[in-house]
Order: sequence, then structure tokens, then C-alpha cells
Amino acid sequence: MVLAVCTTSSIPAFAAENYQTNIGPTPLDGSNRANVLGRGSVLATLDGTKFTLHGTFSGLATPATEAHLCMGSVMGGTGPAIYDVTVTQAQSGQVSGTVTLTPEQVAALKAGKIYLLLDSQKAPKGNLWGWFQPAHKTVGPNVPEYGHWYIPNILKDDNTARKKPQG
Amino acid sequence: MKDRTKRLARRTMAAGMTASAAIAIAAIGGWHALAQTAAKPGPFTDAQAQAGQAAYAQNCAKCHDSGEAPPLTGAGFLNVWASRSTHDLFARVKDTMPVDNPGSLSNETVVPIIAWLLKNNGIAAGTTAFTPTTAVAINTIAPGEAPQQAAQAGGGRRRAGGADAASATGGPLSADAELRRGNIVFRTGITVEGTAAHYTPITEEMMVHPPAADWLMHYGNYAGWSHSPLKQITPKNVQNLQLRWVWSMDDGERQQITPLVHDGVMFVSNNITNRVQALNAKTGDLIWENTLGPRLAGQQNATRTMALYGNRLFYPATDANLYALDARTGKIDWKIKFSSYGNDKIGGLMVADGKIIAGLGRCDERALADRCFIAAYDVNDGHQIWKFSTVAYSGEPGGDSWGTLTNDQRTGADAWIPGTYDPKLGLTYWGTGQAKSGARGIGDQLFSNAVVALDVKTGKLKWYHQTAPDENLDLDEVFEKVLVDQGEQKTLLSAGKKGILWKLDRATGKFLDYVPAVFQNVFVNIDRVTGRGTYRPDILTSKPGDTRPSCPSPAGGKNWPASSYVPESDLIILPLDQICVASGSMAGNYEAPASDGYIARMSAYRARDLKPVWTFQQRAPFLTSAMTTAGGVGFVGDWDRTFRAFDLKTGKTLWSTRLGTTAQGYPTTFSVDGEQFVAVPTGYNGGSPEVRPVTLLAFERNRPYSGHAVYVFALPKKQH
Repeated sequence: MVLAVCTTSSIPAFAAENYQTNIGPTPLDGSNRANVLGRGSVLATLDGTKFTLHGTFSGLATPATEAHLCMGSVMGGTGPAIYDVTVTQAQSGQVSGTVTLTPEQVAALKAGKIYLLLDSQKAPKGNLWGWFQPAHKTVGPNVPEYGHWYIPNILKDDNTARKKPQG
Repeated sequence: MKDRTKRLARRTMAAGMTASAAIAIAAIGGWHALAQTAAKPGPFTDAQAQAGQAAYAQNCAKCHDSGEAPPLTGAGFLNVWASRSTHDLFARVKDTMPVDNPGSLSNETVVPIIAWLLKNNGIAAGTTAFTPTTAVAINTIAPGEAPQQAAQAGGGRRRAGGADAASATGGPLSADAELRRGNIVFRTGITVEGTAAHYTPITEEMMVHPPAADWLMHYGNYAGWSHSPLKQITPKNVQNLQLRWVWSMDDGERQQITPLVHDGVMFVSNNITNRVQALNAKTGDLIWENTLGPRLAGQQNATRTMALYGNRLFYPATDANLYALDARTGKIDWKIKFSSYGNDKIGGLMVADGKIIAGLGRCDERALADRCFIAAYDVNDGHQIWKFSTVAYSGEPGGDSWGTLTNDQRTGADAWIPGTYDPKLGLTYWGTGQAKSGARGIGDQLFSNAVVALDVKTGKLKWYHQTAPDENLDLDEVFEKVLVDQGEQKTLLSAGKKGILWKLDRATGKFLDYVPAVFQNVFVNIDRVTGRGTYRPDILTSKPGDTRPSCPSPAGGKNWPASSYVPESDLIILPLDQICVASGSMAGNYEAPASDGYIARMSAYRARDLKPVWTFQQRAPFLTSAMTTAGGVGFVGDWDRTFRAFDLKTGKTLWSTRLGTTAQGYPTTFSVDGEQFVAVPTGYNGGSPEVRPVTLLAFERNRPYSGHAVYVFALPKKQH
């Protein structure tokens, strides 16, 4: 994502950035599958260092208990909880919160390492999770997208390096 | 590929029958049951079993309780292990587990795991502690009644015969009577006699330029396109497709076949029985059947394809016998043992330049210095013409890429997918899987996870390009090498489990370009000049047991379901998966970031410049190759039993139907008497891309664990 950098004092240094994530089941195996149900979606905004999120979830096997912002070691990987956020103590409901991120956490967010983790009674170490991504278009199942579609990318300079085919 | 990996598991699956069915079989003469309700306590203590439960959870549950490998309890487990000793079980676990680091578990860990497995199968704890040398026959301590594995019946009896009066008197039943009772009858040999009339020999010219009406080889042509020039079925009429016939097949094991067709004859194989059949491709009538066996061999391997040439049909049996059958009658012309190592399996198979070329997989018996290879054989008598070892030994080219590992420690690089062939360059292109040495950071471990270009006449290595050096995440780069000419430039396209579509110059092996087709977090950089990837630092430094997320999972961003190249529009179309896996303390499968719960993605890229053209996603993973036609229609099937036709220009679904179980294998298309047909196999047990989603789709999608078959569709007769 390209950031618009402004130099006049009357305009914020950074425009607010929008993020989103679809929260789905945490790692599943045969022993925990019945307790790790549900799905949700969360939208978020980064305004400077203020990170505000709001979303909904449903379909949990047991009521939600806690929700956290976590910082993974890599997009798609796990890491420690860095903030708690508010969650409805029910099998469906809302999750919301506003936190102030450190510069390191902002960088992690931009690298796709920040994720939301929602716990429930029978999945106390995590029921739903999702890594925040820059706002992008989503479509339903079997609906084609053309020309460009969103796939997260952690490769260094991949987009800028992608010029013309060699050979 | 997690092959060695799954031996114990697949042996369990190899029982291939439910407990009730097995008990029914046990009641038939010639079968014997376990000791009745043996009350004898097991050779382990309750404390050992209790400790073993925790050790099992830490080391075994991630596969055996996740659907990745079958559960180690119940009739399936006892089917395999009842006739063996507790020491056999100990040795198997000790030597082959865990998946990502076999042999790494200490005796102190394995001993309680065995105690837990025995207790979890209903065996009572005793007062004697289990030790690594404890050897007690499991059928003397297992409770209740469970069947033993079937012995094979020999003979070549024809399937004919009426109901046998003896059935009413408790005497032996005829084959038909047994079948009607639902009993499994297994006899080897020509079980149905017949002759394919008007069958013409397949020539090299036909292989280079396949007749439009036929599907002669795994990918339809030497270039790996999975594309047919047939154009009777179009976007305008495809919605009228109708089922013409369906042929039920033997359930069990890894059914991922390619229905080959020549002169109106379709050839199919049944994985669990090694039963090969010739069908009238227009009507579905059986022409001949040769049941080669063995059945329930365990440790089986998918027989993804057979190969045709001359009047012969070449079949890679699951016991590593390579058969040459007379395609007209099914009779055996010759057979060879492909490998002398017991667990080795024939992987990819093709015919090129008049030679059978086949790859070896599961060749990882370290102590025996077993190593994988690709080799060529004479079509007339099966004698070996050349052999290329995919693992470089000390002193050989590439031999210094394995560090200080001795030759017997160098394993992996399985050639488990058929290659492709450029007749003009005289090169055959094959992929290899991951290294299985268990070592990391020692070197590139050549020629693992690489494309190798071999001289078709000599087997000499012309060039190689390693897309994933030093790989041991089970992210194989073995899959189809698609050959596409762009003007004067001869390119090769291929995607491996990382879901990265690579483009090479196939004359030289030079890296040209890449595009990530799904999210991956294994590489943090790919050199634009060399194509060499740089692994995430925590992967490079990880040790067994560390939490090590991997996107994609071993299910693969791309796996064995093949891509298709559409020459009319220069599109390469890839069936893709979006699953990650955690390892270590947080094991399990999960949806990839930004996949929004869509496990499957189908994407089309322009081959010339890898420009993205269209994509769509869905929940259920694709378990067939993409197959395309000059009529502008493509086909693909999925885990959730849907077989669909899509518009090659837009990706829009044009038609779909539901099948009996998972659409699995390689769809083909062919024509007989002017009619175009589309064939799609169904099956289950499709390896990681089929098994891992089982857990993700639990509580929302179900499909039967039966229904191996091939379905054939065509337009109504008046519409073409």
C-alpha cells in the first residue's frame, strides 16, 4: 500500500489506513474440532498510532470469554498478546477496542503480523483468529475476480521488483 | 510427500474395511478371528499408559487425531497389528516416527506411547513394565473379536457362475453368491475375459501428436497440458451435459486415477486391488479385467496413471511390480520388480521416445542405502535402459551438497509424479520431492525439490533447477512440468506446494520468472535473477518440537491435482489450496490469512508474462486436475462431490453436478463415433490435499467413504 505523505502542518502526517480480517478457527485437530467453531469479520482503522477495531462473530460452540490483539512472528504465525479488547460473552456478538500501538507494533501491523485472537469457554487458548490485512475487495464463493486480486505477500520488494519477464 | 511418514497410518487404512464387514468376512471359511475376549493383561503398567497418553498427544495426535493419518484405535488398528508383536509396534514407531523427524523419539518416549496405544485398544494394564524388547503377540492380549488381514486367494477364476446351493447348507459359496452377500471376493488373474476389437497400435507419432479423440497419457500430451483439442462441448451447450454411464470401482486406498482412452477403449485401475479394467468408453461395458493384486497390501501408493504404447498398457502396481499388459486382452506380457526394497513404490510413469520412464518414491530405507531414481525401460521386455538417481552420493555430481551425511543418510527426492517430454530437445522433465535426511543447513541436498532435465536416450542430466533447496517442510516441488513455447523461447512452468508458479527456460534451465499464486510465509525473499528462495530465519533454526507455522501446509498451495495449459488463450490454470499448518506445541491446520475461509482457489495466469487473468475461490478444496478443451470449457471437481464446467475466458461456472463422493483424480475427455465425452473419477484418501481439509470441514460438510467410480458425461445426442 502506498502512503500519502503530507508535509503541511495543518494536515495529519498520515491518512488513516483501513484494515480488515476474517476470523476463522484456530489450528484444528481431531481432538479440539468440536470446540473450535464459528466465524467473524473485523474492520479496523489505523490513525497515526491509534488502532480501532470493531467486528462481529457467531457460531461459537461455547460463549466467548476474552479477545486479544497479538503480534505474530510472521503473517500467519503466532506470538504474544499485546492488548486485550472487548468481546461479547456469548456464542455470537461483537468485538471492539481502541489501542495505541508502538512504532514496532505499527510496523508489525503493516507487515501483516498483528492478529485478533478470540477465546471461548471450551477453547480458552484461542477459538477464532485472523491476521489484519489492508482493506481490500472480497467476493463470495465461485465469483470470479479479474486482472488483480488480493493475496498477502511477505516477499521483500516483490511488487517493485516485478518488472518484466526475463529471457 | 509424507510417505514414510504415513506407513503406519496407511497400513491401518490398508485394512480398508469396516469392523462389521471384516467380522462378516471372518465368518467365512478360510478366515480366522482373534482369540476370544482375551483377559490376559498387557505387558505394561497403568502408569506407563498414563504417561503415554501425554506423549501421544505431544508427538502423534497432530496427525493421527487430525485426519491426516488414520486413528490408531479400533478394528483398523487391530487388523494390521493383531498378528504382530508389541516389539514390532515399538520398532515401527521408533524407526519411522514422527513425521518430520523419524527416529528422533527416545526409548523413554516411545515405550509409554506403546503402552498407551495398547491400553487405548482395550488391552488391560498389568504389573509388568513394557520395555523396548518386550515381544508379546498382540492377538493374545487384544480383547474381543477382530479380524485378521485377508490372505490372498490365488487362481484365475472367471467371474461367471450362479448362486451356489451350498450357501443354504453352510458350505462354500460361489464367487457370485459371495458377492451378492456383500462379501469381499478376491481372486487374481484374468477375472473377466474379453478382447478390445479394432484396437490399433499406438505409435511414437501418435504420442507426439495425440489423436484428438484419444487421451493417451496422463496429461493428454507430452507437454503436460491436460488439454484436449475437442470442441463439441462449448460454453453455450455445456449446461446440457448428461450422465451417460458410471462404473463403480473397488473402494479403499488411494484412488486418484487418470482414465486413459484409445480407439474407444477406456483403461482404469483400482488402487486397493491392483485390478485393471478395459471399458467400452462409449457405453461403459466391461471388455476385460485383470486382477493383478495384491489386495490390502498396506503402505500403498496412489496409482495416478498408467501408460499406453503399441499394443501394451503399462501398470505400476502398488507392490512396485511394473506390468506390461496386452491392451487388447489384459493378459500379462511381462512384468518387472521396479525396486527390490520392500517399501518402495512406483511414482510417476510415462512413455517417451518409445521407452517407459518411471520414477521411484518412498525410497527412504536409510540403513539399506535405498535411494530414489528415474529410469527408462524397454517397452518390449522391461529391461532397464538407463537410470538417474535423484539423490547424489558422495563423489557424484552434486554429492557435496549433503554436507557430511553418509550415503545411507541421504534420502528423499522422490519422483512421485509423471514427467513431461520435449521430443525436439530430446529432454524429459521430472520433478522431485523434499529431502528426507532430517538435516537442515547442510547444503542443497541435490537433487531434492528440483526440476531435472534428462536426455531421453541416455538419462544423463542436462540441467537442473532447484526451486526449494534444503527443504524439509514437506513442501514438495515435484508436480507437473508444463512445456509452453513463446515464439522462439521454450519455457517450462510448474508450481509446487509453496504455491509459487515458476517459469524456466527449458532448454537451459535458466530461471525466468515467478508469481506467488497463494499466500506463503516460508520464503522471505526470492532472488529475481536466480529464483533462489531465502527461508524464514526461524525455519532455518527450528528444532523438532518448535512451533513453526507454515503457509501453505503440506496439503500444498498446489499439489498433485494438475494444472492445465490452454494454448488457444495462453492461459495456465491452477487448482490451489489455502491451508496453513502449525507444528510443535500448537499443531493443527488452519485457514490461510486473507483466505476468508475459502480453502480452494482456482486461478488463471497468462503464461507469456504470468499476468493474473481470473480467479475464484470456494470452501471445498479441488481434488481433480484442471482439464481444459478447445471448446472453451474447463472442468474441475472438488472434495464436496461437485464436478463443474467453467468458462475458460471468465472463470464463471457454467454447469455443475454432484457425484457419489469426492471428485478425485484426473478428468479426461475423448470422443467416440463423433461424440465428445468427459470422464471424471471419484475417490477418497487423496493424501494431504484431501485429508487435511477433513478436519477443517468437520461439522459442515460430509461425504461418503465409499463410491470409487468413474463418471462419464456427454451432451444429449441431438445437441452436437
